Amino acid sequence: MRVVTRGFASVLAFVAKELLEVIRSPAALVSLTLGPVLIMVLFGAGFNGYSPALRTVIVIPPDSGLSTDVSEYADAVIGIDVVDVVPDRGPAEERLRLREIDAVIVAPASMQDRFLAGEQSVVDVMINVSDPIASVNAAYVVKTLSAELNRRILEEVARHGIAEAVKAGSPDAWDIPPEVIAAPTRADLKNVAPTEPAVVSYYGAAILAFILQHIAVSLIALSLVRERTRGSFELFRFAPVSAAEVLVGKVIACVLITGVVAVAVTLLLVRVLGVPLLGDPVQLGLTLALVSAASLGLGVVIAVFSDTERQVVQMALLVLLASVFFSGLFLNLDLFRPLARPFMYLLPATHGIALTQDLMLYGWTSAPWHFAALGVMAVVLLVGGSALLRRQLERA
Amino acid sequence: MQKEPAAVVLDGASRTFGDLEALRDVSLRVETGSILGVIGPSGAGKTTAIRLMTGGLAPTAGTVHVLGEDPRHLRRRTREKIGYLPQQFTLYPYLTARENVGFVASIYGLLWFRHGRRVREALKLVELWTVRNRLAARMSGGMLRRLELAAALVHDPALLLLDEPTAGLDPILRASIWTELHRLRDAGRTLIVTTQYVNEAEECDEVALISGGRLVALATPEELRRQALGGQAIEVETEEAFDAAELEGQPGVLRVIQTTPHTFQAVVEDAGIATPDVVEAITARGATVKSAREWVPSFDDAFTTLVERQAADVSNEQEEAA
Repeated sequence: MRVVTRGFASVLAFVAKELLEVIRSPAALVSLTLGPVLIMVLFGAGFNGYSPALRTVIVIPPDSGLSTDVSEYADAVIGIDVVDVVPDRGPAEERLRLREIDAVIVAPASMQDRFLAGEQSVVDVMINVSDPIASVNAAYVVKTLSAELNRRILEEVARHGIAEAVKAGSPDAWDIPPEVIAAPTRADLKNVAPTEPAVVSYYGAAILAFILQHIAVSLIALSLVRERTRGSFELFRFAPVSAAEVLVGKVIACVLITGVVAVAVTLLLVRVLGVPLLGDPVQLGLTLALVSAASLGLGVVIAVFSDTERQVVQMALLVLLASVFFSGLFLNLDLFRPLARPFMYLLPATHGIALTQDLMLYGWTSAPWHFAALGVMAVVLLVGGSALLRRQLERA
Repeated sequence: MQKEPAAVVLDGASRTFGDLEALRDVSLRVETGSILGVIGPSGAGKTTAIRLMTGGLAPTAGTVHVLGEDPRHLRRRTREKIGYLPQQFTLYPYLTARENVGFVASIYGLLWFRHGRRVREALKLVELWTVRNRLAARMSGGMLRRLELAAALVHDPALLLLDEPTAGLDPILRASIWTELHRLRDAGRTLIVTTQYVNEAEECDEVALISGGRLVALATPEELRRQALGGQAIEVETEEAFDAAELEGQPGVLRVIQTTPHTFQAVVEDAGIATPDVVEAITARGATVKSAREWVPSFDDAFTTLVERQAADVSNEQEEAA
């Protein structure tokens, strides 16, 4: 009983000490609580999530029979911003080289004549972009453009054909409008998701788990390494306190701190930025607690293998960088080869992002195994970290 | 009445770091209720000796026992009886003096009323109670040392290992700290104190002089002086010039050191017995003794003599081995 009481007192001593240290350190307070909140505000206010339209010049040869009026092409294809229509491709290509514009579209000469002659025309599209995503986007836009041109040609031909049929004494031909002949079907998209897709909602929910992971990893790793470099481990080694008590005290304090940050960021997301919270808040709380616990375990392991605070910062940034690319924050996990995915699931943020997005935007999760994965990570990392820490304390 | 067991026992303890022999074959016993001063030049092995006692290091040869246990595997109850003041500041800059000492009190298992009372007593003892709400980050070096001392004392330990507790303190505060250490000793506590101030050896019941990783001397302060001189010394002043060499061979006189034509020191086995004989011998040689009194060398002198002697011995050993 005495050992339990004194152990409890030791744990509480560490909890109180950690909280006081964080409260007394203004820089840590700012970076831990105000930092994430400011990031969220800037993200919500500044990010629109859409790729900019390609600034495009259309080259229309004089004998093409197409309109040279810029306004006629204004809304022709989504993703293209027609800034000019010119007759010669030379000056247009020069503007493209100088990167004044992003694309040049060259309409074929005598397009309708070639069609009626049974020949295929080629629309030349030139782009000048190094961004691979913009390049993929341009390819999609070009396909859309080609389909749109084909539709217009077919429509014109159909109109011409119907007129000829009527002249030939077939009045039924009036019943099929030329635009239906040119495009017999059209897709009508209906999104059954319970919330309208919105950039702030989608990324806001993800960033909640992402930020929490970074704070938890940095907080506990820095705290432990600071104790070691300061020489406090020597004091702990000699004092009647176990490695488990040191760790439990620190973990409880860090969970409380990350809990405050999580509540603050969640309130900001839901109340200020309008991110929906359709799921059970308790489940969301459980998710964030598990992300914190697993991330704290990761932080303990980082602390054990770091000699200085600088190393901790470097390793925490590496984890952050890995999370930017591999946690599903900005790049969907399905974009990666299956071989790479196990590595991605080693990051607490990967599971956290999947769960927070599901719970906030759908109200439920189709992959509850993420809870179990986070739980297992938390237990393995914290127990393993505790064992490694005990060895370090013994050597202090 | 049965004698209490020794608080700390080192038996042939050695510690090496690679090729470096930081401590070699050190044997000593620290009796309960005494103060052992560990002195020696910088890098002599004092902190290594303390760290063997804290269990921070394992001996590479020999054994170490603290309160009857291996310090590498002390029981929780035994740990609660030991206070440790490391050489560097290990407390927390963003906690106040009271919070820092309170934290240490908590990890040493002090609860509720006793916790508050002991924190207050410890801070009053080191004269920090009036600044108990000041952050450690805003304290001077001397105040931080006192704060650490308060933290080491807060749980009223039976054994205190203090690594340079008076480093960086002014003489008045050092004196008050020693007064408190004596009070603790008189209350039955055992203290092991390393110090860079050689003259503080006088404050200890026994002194372990370590140099080059070896235990050069382990004795009371008085005996340490005696070992340095090879006996006791009489300082003699004569009216006329006197050649002290004339006294060599005189019974009880071990050697003489002429300091000026009118003054010399005679190293004798016992100053109390030898002084009248020396005065008589000088008078018999036609000189008049102006004064003759026991000369007590400073600890700096004794320390320097012993360390130099040990260095010479090591050098001779190495030459012989070569």
